[in-house]
Amino acid sequence: MITEREFLQRARLDRATLSIWIEEEWLIPGRTAHELAFTDMDLARANLIHDLKDKMGVNDEGLGVILHLIDQMHALRRALADTLNSARERRIPPAGG
Amino acid sequence: MRDPYEILGVAKTATADDIRKAYRKLAKKLHPDLNPGDKRAEEQFKEVAAANDLLSDPDKRRRFDAGEIDASGAEKAPPNARYYRDYAGESGHPYEGHGAYGDFAQGDDMFAELLRRAAEQARRRPGADLHYELQVEFLDAVNGATRTITLPGGGTLQVTIPSGVEDGQILRLRGKGAPSPGEGEPGDALVQIVVRPHRFFTREGDNILIDLPVTVKEAALGAEVRTPTTTGSVMLRIPKRSNTGDMLRLRGKGVKKRDGAGDELVKLKVMMPTEAEPELETFLANWTPASQYDPRKDL
Repeated sequence: MITEREFLQRARLDRATLSIWIEEEWLIPGRTAHELAFTDMDLARANLIHDLKDKMGVNDEGLGVILHLIDQMHALRRALADTLNSARERRIPPAGG
Repeated sequence: MRDPYEILGVAKTATADDIRKAYRKLAKKLHPDLNPGDKRAEEQFKEVAAANDLLSDPDKRRRFDAGEIDASGAEKAPPNARYYRDYAGESGHPYEGHGAYGDFAQGDDMFAELLRRAAEQARRRPGADLHYELQVEFLDAVNGATRTITLPGGGTLQVTIPSGVEDGQILRLRGKGAPSPGEGEPGDALVQIVVRPHRFFTREGDNILIDLPVTVKEAALGAEVRTPTTTGSVMLRIPKRSNTGDMLRLRGKGVKKRDGAGDELVKLKVMMPTEAEPELETFLANWTPASQYDPRKDL
């Protein structure tokens, strides 16, 4: 678990920006009784947001769309992986084979 | 390392703006998170980032052009330690996308069936475990208690602290964690116990330790002394001729657990009176000890 303070430092963020990112649901940190709790995944996602904004010039409106599509893509990749694994287990020949 | 101009695909005479545009174009194409299945994307992206790092800094670019530094001088551009794609393939995280393949899962062919099963699994996935910390008074940890945690969202969590809970121990409250993203069981709440120190009790395993100050008279002649335990005071018999450091045991007055109880270990501490005691001083001045007792003979 990464504390809010450590996260701000490692993700190169100030508190105000972080709260906007959370409000926009670009980041969804966990919570403990007293504070926010971040993971390495949140950190990697913050780096991605920085890359999209700073390196590629994506604006705030576009950013939410891109993150949503990236998450959909990962869901699809998982579904595809699950499907292929199940197919392999059942020794089903690939479609068209 | 290859020539940075070549990597970005710009001429040696390119302006800063040309370089920025070329870099952006390549970054959009090669960023590992936009190419989750392409292992080479990361290498290429790093190369492009390094080339940009070198050429976007006028001073570095000048020194590179003058042959003062080589292209590898720019490679220290900090690449992301790990990309988002390295985590996003897992399931059960808060960013998980849903419904991206709902339309494929209709119908009755084999793939629809497989997708349906995967979706079913995703739906039954339990919620995440949530971590809390609970500060507990020493005596509550020894005797057990019920405490309420106020959650950031405004809700509360009732925690039954079992007697004898130890510092750092984690209590698992089933079903009190985050709700399932689908229709699965909620996760668990994991409550880490932090035991606050006590003013005079300490704990060693299941035994309770206490330093008990006694007067010179009590130590010399023996006495019944009121002694605190974690469940109230008891009378403790101090034997005649007790000494600082002597350990007395109150059986069963330690930490109580299901499989028995520890003891309270009382360590005596003989205290000289702090006020003047002329009588005692006179007595000691005229006192000839019966034995040749030397407390320092082992030094």
